[in-house]
Formats: sequence, C-alpha cells, structure tokens
Amino acid sequence: MINFEEIKNQFDKDIKETKEIEKLEIKYLGRNGVINDLLKKIKEIPQEQKKSYGQKVNELKTSIKRLIEVKRKELAGKKSEVFFDKTLPGKSYPKGSLHPITYTIEEIANIFQKIGFVRVSYPEVEWEYFAFEALNMPKDHPARDDFETFFINYPKDKKYGKIVLSPHTSSGQTREMKRVKEPPIRMINIAKCYRPNWDITHVPMFFQFEGLCVDHNINITHLKGTINYFVKNFFGKDREIRLRPCHFQFTEPSFEVDVSCKVCGGKGLLNNKKCKVCKSGWLELAGTGMVHPNVLKAGGIDPNQYSGWAFGFGPERCMMMKEEMKIDDIRILYNGDIRFLEQF
Amino acid sequence: MNIKITHNWLLEYLDTDATPYEIQKYLSLCGPSIESVTKIDNDFIYDVEVITNRIDYASVLGVAREAVAILPMFDKRAKLKDLASFHWTGENGKRTEKVEIVDPDNLCPRKLAVVMEVSIGKSPQYIKERLENCGIRSLNNLIDITNYVMLEVGHPAHVFDYDRVKTGKIFIRKAKNGEKITTLDKKNYLLNSNDIIFDDGTGRIIDLPGIMGLDNSVVTEKTKRIIFWIETNDPKAIRITSMRLGIRTAAASINEKNPDPEAAKMTFLKGIELYQKIAKGNIISPLYDTSPDIKKEKLLVIGYELFGKKIGIEIPKKRINSILVNLGFGINYLEDSRIQVIVPSWRANDINIPEDLVEEIARVYGYQNIPSILQPIVYIDQPKDMEDIFVFQNKIKLLLKHLGLNEVINYSMISKSMIEDGGLKIENHLRLSNSISEEIEYLRTSLLPSLYKNIQDNSGRKEVMRFFEIAKVYWLKKNDLPDEVYKIGIATNTDYFDLKGIIEAIYKELNIDFCHSREGGNPDIIEKDGVFMTEIDLQKLINNYHQVPKFKSLNPYAVIKLDKTFELSPKTTYAIVRQKAFKSKLLQKIELVTLFNNKLTLRFYYSLSSRNITEEEAKEELALVR
Repeated sequence: MINFEEIKNQFDKDIKETKEIEKLEIKYLGRNGVINDLLKKIKEIPQEQKKSYGQKVNELKTSIKRLIEVKRKELAGKKSEVFFDKTLPGKSYPKGSLHPITYTIEEIANIFQKIGFVRVSYPEVEWEYFAFEALNMPKDHPARDDFETFFINYPKDKKYGKIVLSPHTSSGQTREMKRVKEPPIRMINIAKCYRPNWDITHVPMFFQFEGLCVDHNINITHLKGTINYFVKNFFGKDREIRLRPCHFQFTEPSFEVDVSCKVCGGKGLLNNKKCKVCKSGWLELAGTGMVHPNVLKAGGIDPNQYSGWAFGFGPERCMMMKEEMKIDDIRILYNGDIRFLEQF
Repeated sequence: MNIKITHNWLLEYLDTDATPYEIQKYLSLCGPSIESVTKIDNDFIYDVEVITNRIDYASVLGVAREAVAILPMFDKRAKLKDLASFHWTGENGKRTEKVEIVDPDNLCPRKLAVVMEVSIGKSPQYIKERLENCGIRSLNNLIDITNYVMLEVGHPAHVFDYDRVKTGKIFIRKAKNGEKITTLDKKNYLLNSNDIIFDDGTGRIIDLPGIMGLDNSVVTEKTKRIIFWIETNDPKAIRITSMRLGIRTAAASINEKNPDPEAAKMTFLKGIELYQKIAKGNIISPLYDTSPDIKKEKLLVIGYELFGKKIGIEIPKKRINSILVNLGFGINYLEDSRIQVIVPSWRANDINIPEDLVEEIARVYGYQNIPSILQPIVYIDQPKDMEDIFVFQNKIKLLLKHLGLNEVINYSMISKSMIEDGGLKIENHLRLSNSISEEIEYLRTSLLPSLYKNIQDNSGRKEVMRFFEIAKVYWLKKNDLPDEVYKIGIATNTDYFDLKGIIEAIYKELNIDFCHSREGGNPDIIEKDGVFMTEIDLQKLINNYHQVPKFKSLNPYAVIKLDKTFELSPKTTYAIVRQKAFKSKLLQKIELVTLFNNKLTLRFYYSLSSRNITEEEAKEELALVR
C-alpha cells in the first residue's frame, strides 16, 4: 500500500528546506518524478480501488503544484531586493463618465416608480394642439408667441395646427389621458423641452419632468403629499416644502413650490447674516397645481368624476441645488466640453 | 414682473398692526410674493412679484386689497381706508378747451381725458423719494404724477403737452407700414400695420399708446397746458408691438396684461387730484370718459362642497364667506348650500370658473394649513416599449461609461453647415422657422455631426477622446409629426478597431451575436479627419436582446487547441477564414492570438460533445481552412 501521507510529509519537509525550486519540481512533478511514479503504479492497483487511487494522486499533484508556485513566488520576491511600495495606486481601469443630468433623471424616475408612477415618452416635436390648446392655452396666449416657442417650418394641420418644439413636458398630459382612457393615471414624463432663449442663465434645450395624477377624489393634500415625498427622498429628510400662489393656464389652483434652504436650514439667516444661497430661507423649485377641468376634458376625462394634480420640475435645477453645483454659465451643460463632462 | 412699493405708501390705504416683515411673510404665503423688504430711512421698500394673471395687485391699492384678506388669517388687523378721493370732482369752473377723441375701429375700448392748466416744477419731496425708492426716476411734477398714480392705483397714464398736440384731436388708428416715430427718449422706430398709434388728425403721429410717449407731444419745460390721458388697450396688440420694437416699459408690461378698466378711471381721478394739489392744476375742459358704463358684473355659482372636495379638508362656511368678502367678492346665498359670487371688477379677468374660487379660499386659508398626504398607490401598466427605451438606454450608458467613454448631451438642433459637412441632405431635415441662431436651425437626423463637432471642439483639451450620446433623431414624415427615433452615436479619435471593439462590447452585453447580426460583423464605421464614428439604432438592439445567452451543456470531453497563422489578403480575411473554419462541426470557437504585420495567428478550439476526439481529427479539420 502506498502511504500518501508520508509522501506529503516528505514534500513539506523538502519545500521548507529547498533553495532551488526547479530541483524540487523535477523531483516531484518531472517525467520520472514521484507523481508520475505513482501514476505508473496504477496498473498494480486492484480494479475496485483504481478510482479512489487516481483521485488521491490527482489531489496530491494539485496540492504540490500549488505549493511549488507559492514557494517560487516567495523565492523570486527574496531574490529581487526591489522595494515593494504598497502605497502605489492599483492597476488603472477605464472610467468614463455620464452626463450629470443622466444620474439625476434616473434618480427621479426611481423615486416616483416606488409610488407607482410609470415613466412615459411622448413627442418632443409636437402639434400646437397638444402643446397649447389641450392645455387650456388659447391662440392669443403669450406663451404661443414667437419669442416663447420654437416653431417648425412645416404645413399647418387643419386639426392640430403648426408643429412646435414642445416648450414643456405638459404636452404629454392629454396624450397620457388619451392613452389610459379611464383613470387612474400616475405618470412621470421626463423629456427634452425647447425655448428660444440662449444666454448664461438659459439654454434653448433643457429637461423637464412632469408628474400627473388623475383619479377619483384627488385633492391638494395629495399634491402636497407627493411633492413632499419627492423632496424628502431627493434632497433629504430634513428639507421642507411650501406652496405659494401662482398662475398656470393648465392648473387651477396653481402653486409655486419652494424647498427649504439646506445652507441656512430655512431660516434665511446664517450667523445672523442674510443667507447668500436662498431668498429668506426658501428656494424656488417648481410649478404645480390641480389639473384644470378644461385639460381633463381635452384628454377625454370627465372633470365631474375625476380630479388630478400635475407638476413640472427642471431636473437641471434640482441637480444643481442637490449637488450644490455652482454653475456660472448654464450653457456648459450642453456644449460638450470634455473638461466638464469627465468630472462626473 | 416685479414692482416696488413702500410701506408708508401702503399705509395710506391700509390700516394694520402688522409689521413690514409680517406683511412680507404672510402675503408671500397666501398672495403676492414679496421677494424682499429693504429698510430705508423711515420707510421700507417691498419688492413684489406680480404673477401674470394678477395684474390687479401691481399697485399700492392692489397689495392693500390682498393684505385686507390675508392678514386677518394671521390675527392681524387689516382694513382698507376710505377711498373718498376716487370720485368725479365738481363740474364748476370754465371749460373752454376740448379734446376731440376719434376711434372708429374702437382700438382702445375706454378713453379718459382732461385738459388742465398747470405749472411745471419739481415734485414734492415725498413723491420724489417714493418714486426713486421704487425704482422710477423723478423728472418733473407733470410726468412724476403719471408714474405715481400708476404705482398707486394700477393703471398706466400719460400726459401730453396740449399745445404741442396742436389740433386738440386724438385720432386712434393702425399705423401704416413704414411710418416712423421718435419716442420721448429720442429713439427712432419703424412701424408696421400691427401697431396702434395716435394721430393728431393731420397724419402726424403723436403717441404710441400704452407703451411710450413720443418726443413731439410730451411735456417740456415750457408746458403750460396738458392733456392728462388714460386709455385702455388691446393687450395682445400691446405685447406684439412692445416686444417687436423692444420697448419694455412698465406701462407696456401692465397694459399687455389687461388691467381693470375701472382702475383706469380711479387712476384718472387720482391723477387729476394730484395735478390740482402739486402742479397748480386747473381743469379747463370737460372730463371725458368714453365708456362710463363699462363696468359689468360677473357672477359665478358654486356649491360649498366643491371647496372641501378640491382642497381635501373641510373649511367652515363662515370662514369661506369671510375670505370671499375680504377679497372684495359679493355673495348671494342660494338654496342647497350654494352661493352666487359677484366678482369685483379688478378680478374679472382671472376669476372664470368655480375652481378659481377654490384657489382663492385655499390660498388665503393657507396652503401651510393643508396636510401632505400621499394618494393611494395603484398599479398602472407601463407600455413595454416605453419601459424598454429607458431600461436599455441606462444599461448601455453604464456599459459605455465603464468602458471609459464620456457621455455628452448635445442640442437636438444643428446648423446647416454641420448637416452639409456630414454629407447629409438639407431637404431631409425639419427647419425651425424662428430659430435664434443659425447654429440651431435644423432638427438633426443623425447624432454624428454633433459628435464630430464635440471631438473638434475639444481638440487640445485631451489626447484620447471617446464620446457617446443616446438621443432621439427626427425623421421627416409627410403630413405628420416626424418619427422620433432613439440612436446611439459613438465617436472616437483613436482607431477603427477601438470603435469596433466598443460596438462588439455593446452586442456582447446584450447577448446579441454580433457576427450573425445584420451588420455581419462589419458595422458602419465612418472615418473623417481621424474621427471614427458610428450610429446604432436602439430599438434594433432591444428587439434582438437576450437576457442571458443560450445555455450550452458543459462539454466533458477534451478540447484540442490548435494554432495556425494566415497571411492576410483580400482573399484571406479574418471573416473568410472564420466562415470556412466554422464549416467544421468540431469547431467550438476561434481566438485571435497575434497579428504581426499581415500575419494573423488564430487559435482554434475543437471538440465534440459526444466523445473524445483525437488530435489527428482536429488537424484534419483545420487543414481544410486555407
């Protein structure tokens, strides 16, 4: 019978003492080495023990191989007396970047997904009808002027009017109502919008995210509840919201949403001086309101049975407020400067 | 727009025990946003934001009216003082002069005018200070009065030199194309037929009403007699003319928002009083009002239950009533818990439907007193195609980021030259009819011109550049909106195989067999001035995506690895070798070992899943690949 334990013990002893690993390798793993000898002997093993014998040889071989490798590295390390500097940086792997607004949009979509809002996609190049009429903005509304909306040079449609670049995500409101047909509606629409302004505080293309909720008995408490939920999840549990009266054609009542300032904690004062970041403790965040009955009607929903709320936020503003990004010239977001992009 | 008024001025209309900072806080929550309060000498300046549909509070009187409704909710006393001065003064005295007002097309619905003898001079100190504290330059008493009453009562007003008008006639008409004017600040403008002007009856234009006075008719140092004048305007016409000419006066900003015609009359009367008081004014003509009966009562019927339904909490009827009354509404009580609400003239434009009244109650009651409650969560089915668009964009974006690429977001609009340089056809692109720059004139049909520009624009900033963008392109359609198609655009300044490797990585990530995809392992890679670019259709990737690759059972038999070197030529390309090699049923995969000059060494893996093969068998298979 072959004593595997004895062989292993001998090997352990050898490897401890050896200074020439190659010799050890030949002794055990060479053509006429210990392991090969063992393999040759398999002929003499009774049939029923062959399998377990073979396994044992293999196990021994693997173990010896591994220990020899470890020893080889150990000896190599000793030979080269080069200083091993653990403080050097690790191997460099590629790291690209995403546009900062991409992260913000993902986060927003996830926050709303948790409370059952589905993300949709509607045309950016839109009929006047969906961008305005359906939103209770009649023909002579100032937002429909040339200086407020980009128009496309294209023949007018008899029913839907001209083609415009949608100046807000609200155009998706009646499209979603028509898609769903019968409430409940819980929509989040994050998309590009366009307006003809281009200076250090305006870009002709920007993002908006629109929330729309229509159901039985939806009221102002729900609008407040949802915005409060978003603000606490996105900006932090310690932030508060407030609504102030405002005006939008497609909501009634309409509100401006403010969020309490992180820097001064909503007090407007920091070390007894006026806070430089906010207006008396609050920062303007978004426009919102209860969906105007005319908008529900345009979407084919009976305003006597259903009610809803809607809001529109600028993710760029949310991003800059959250990350405390001080951007002097907002055009840097979309001019493709690698020095900006690669930071994120 | 914003206006500035002062606290002491407000107190002339408002009786209150609230401090300026309390007024700021409470009004901002429930009504006009007071963006700042600035203390100055013995007064405070309020900077008030006026929202577009509430031009009625763009005045001292308007803010006082809001305060009367809002402050009591915070247990502050607030009452409007007596407005006795807003009444016609007596008709005694000589009335020798007249103004002939002709408006055949009724371009200005209400006209108010009076001729007065006056004495020009400096305004009293309090008027001067108030105007300047409110951001308006004080000039002389005659002009200051028009600004002062506008800020106090809310309607823009104008003063002409009666003798410079010459004819005593105001003929209101549309301008002719090409007519020229010189405004009182001595700037010249060219008019067109949308503009409404005043003519003195001889063809001479003497005013650009509602926007700015003209040099040829305004008061001067020598003025002895004036026409004090107010007209109401077509808000749309004011907006169009003022925006086109770029004359954005306070008057234009107010008139384009359709102020209350009753405010016009009150402003007029207040103005006359002031001319009498501080400019030795003496009325020498009748007082003209072309529409004394313009006041129409607007009525709305609403049931009390609507308030609770829309706001979400019950507000006692008594409280609702008192809020409405304090805001100036009248109430007639009907049966069935309904009321008929009489809308005051200054709210006639913005109060149209019962929901408007809900807003009034909710805001004055205080949004801060309404709780925050998340609505019941319900399941909504998200269309799969919409969901996929976002899920896959994100997946691919993260992959490309981890490969070291930089995401860029470019404008959807590009320039004509970018289209032409990209070898694309202008006629396939939608054009903006009112672009503000030729850089953003056309909707792009490809992401590549923008990405090419990104690499050019960044030259010198970084050596190696790999950009990508995932965005919609816009494909022209006949008689319809364009198709909005998501594309993945990639551009590098490295080399062909770098980009090809990125493309292959996307396919691998999505478990799409790249070699057997439509591109057949040869993606459309464009090279231009050392920039390598490609564009992939997102939807096509989604359509061919597999969550995990097709499972193959583990092969228990030996794999024979063989290397072979080929000399590449047009007849012996990798694709050809590969195609030939895979004719063998034994071949599992091919690996690229080395490429040196045109010597390509490949490693072939042969095996069978049913038995062990011999090296000879594998060699025979490989021998067929030549």
